[in-house]
Amino acid sequence: MLPDIDFNVIARSLPYLFRQGMSFTLTLTALAALGGLLLGTLLALMRLSTLPILAPLATGYVNLMRSLPLVLVIFWFYFLVPFVGQVILRADRPVEVGAFASALITFTLFEAAYFSEIMRAGIQSIPRGQLAAGYAIGLTYWQVMGYIIVPQAVRNMLPVILTQTIILFQDTSLVYVISITDFLGAASNVAQRDGRLIEMYVFAALVYFAISFSASRLVKSLQMRTAIPR
Amino acid sequence: MPMIEMRDVCKWYGPTFQVLKSCTTAVDKGEVVVVCGPSGSGKSTLIKCVNGLEPFQSGAITVDGIEVAAKGTDLPKLRARIGMVFQHFELFPHLKIIDNLCLGQTKVLGRSRAEAMAKATALLHRVGLDEHADKFPGQLSGGQQQRVAIARALAMDPVAMLFDEPTSALDPEMITEVLDVMVALAHDGMTMMVVTHEMGFARKVADRVIFMDKGEIIEDRPTDEFFGKPRSDRAQLFLSKILSH
Ligand SMILES: Nc1ncnc2c1ncn2[C@@H]1O[C@H](COP(=O)(O)OP(=O)(O)OP(=O)(O)O)[C@@H](O)[C@H]1O
Ligand SMILES: [Mg+2]
Repeated sequence: MLPDIDFNVIARSLPYLFRQGMSFTLTLTALAALGGLLLGTLLALMRLSTLPILAPLATGYVNLMRSLPLVLVIFWFYFLVPFVGQVILRADRPVEVGAFASALITFTLFEAAYFSEIMRAGIQSIPRGQLAAGYAIGLTYWQVMGYIIVPQAVRNMLPVILTQTIILFQDTSLVYVISITDFLGAASNVAQRDGRLIEMYVFAALVYFAISFSASRLVKSLQMRTAIPR
Repeated sequence: MPMIEMRDVCKWYGPTFQVLKSCTTAVDKGEVVVVCGPSGSGKSTLIKCVNGLEPFQSGAITVDGIEVAAKGTDLPKLRARIGMVFQHFELFPHLKIIDNLCLGQTKVLGRSRAEAMAKATALLHRVGLDEHADKFPGQLSGGQQQRVAIARALAMDPVAMLFDEPTSALDPEMITEVLDVMVALAHDGMTMMVVTHEMGFARKVADRVIFMDKGEIIEDRPTDEFFGKPRSDRAQLFLSKILSH
């Protein structure tokens, strides 16, 4: 006997799924990607720096993040940070960070490790002469990086950066371990409440697929257009 | 007082390879000096030391009275006053031509956007590239890009200009347009130090020619004398090679 299927449940829960779930997922993805890119670029510059300790420090961080399962980082961060905050701020009680802030910080820190590798490759791909040309007109190291090297690196690496962001978009579903209602969490809530597991999980899968797939097609066509003519 | 002065400049790459051996010379204000010599003789290294793009281990270089290697020297500030033109142009490919000319003016000299634009526009006119202001470097020919690079350097109102083989990456038909701009600059009284193998250019505008070999300045003499009869065998050999084709 076939299980009875009722797709109406999807239609009924659409506002909840998208207005709450998806908007959380997209916000977290966008903010974490931005934060990760900023921090990742800083880590990349540290790794390429000739100053002592900066490079090993950044390398250590990147290797640590890349060797841990993301779920574990999310989980630990959520439970540990309140206590770390308590110690730092010398508070009486664990510091409330909130699930969203906690998730955002975790994803930013985690993604930074991946973005730093992308940005390092991007920065290294810029010819040395560009650095010399920047210095020659009197720019300082940070100005050369900010106005000349990093913008070119980001443009060259944009397809890879966006692809990594699509992976991030899928990975944000892991926030279920700290009981945050993202898109998957919302679908899951409806599924449990109405006993409509098949419908809801099939629908969730379709939505993730549709968004990820069309986004990666978009990246492909973007790749053609943004290449800087040399 | 010379605009650029070098005294006993020595530089090593690594512990054993000495790329510059006690180089001493001076370039007066308004003087044009051509530097030539075989590949690997240290010409690029020498002029990169002048604006501190390359550090050196001993000796001293002063530009407009400022010691390049002194501890307290504000290198970015000094470099802003010395224009440099590279073999491979090194325009910023992500910026429009006009913005290539404005970046240093606004970020280093603190000029307003309007002021910088006016200066940039005038310079583009001077190198004959008015219509190309809104293009990107990749859309220009090599000769055009090098002229933009010269304009970019001039936008900073430099007290001296350094050129590192500005025409050697160009197709033959584009060499003249770049040399013409350089000749005009020389006639305007710019202090110039030019690494080049364009001996026609040297004869036309150079006051002196420096010949380098294996990191040493072998000859440093007035242009007429140098071409009349180089004293050293090495310079003679070099000249005969480059003038024969
Ligand atoms: N970063 C570096 N490390 C080690 N050796 C170097 C470095 N840069 C240049 N050299 C060496 O120093 C020597 C002089 O180099 P330089 O580029 O100044 O020569 P050049 O006279 O400009 O030659 P060319 O006509 O080929 O441009 C060469 O033997 C070169 O291989
Ligand atoms: Mg050279």
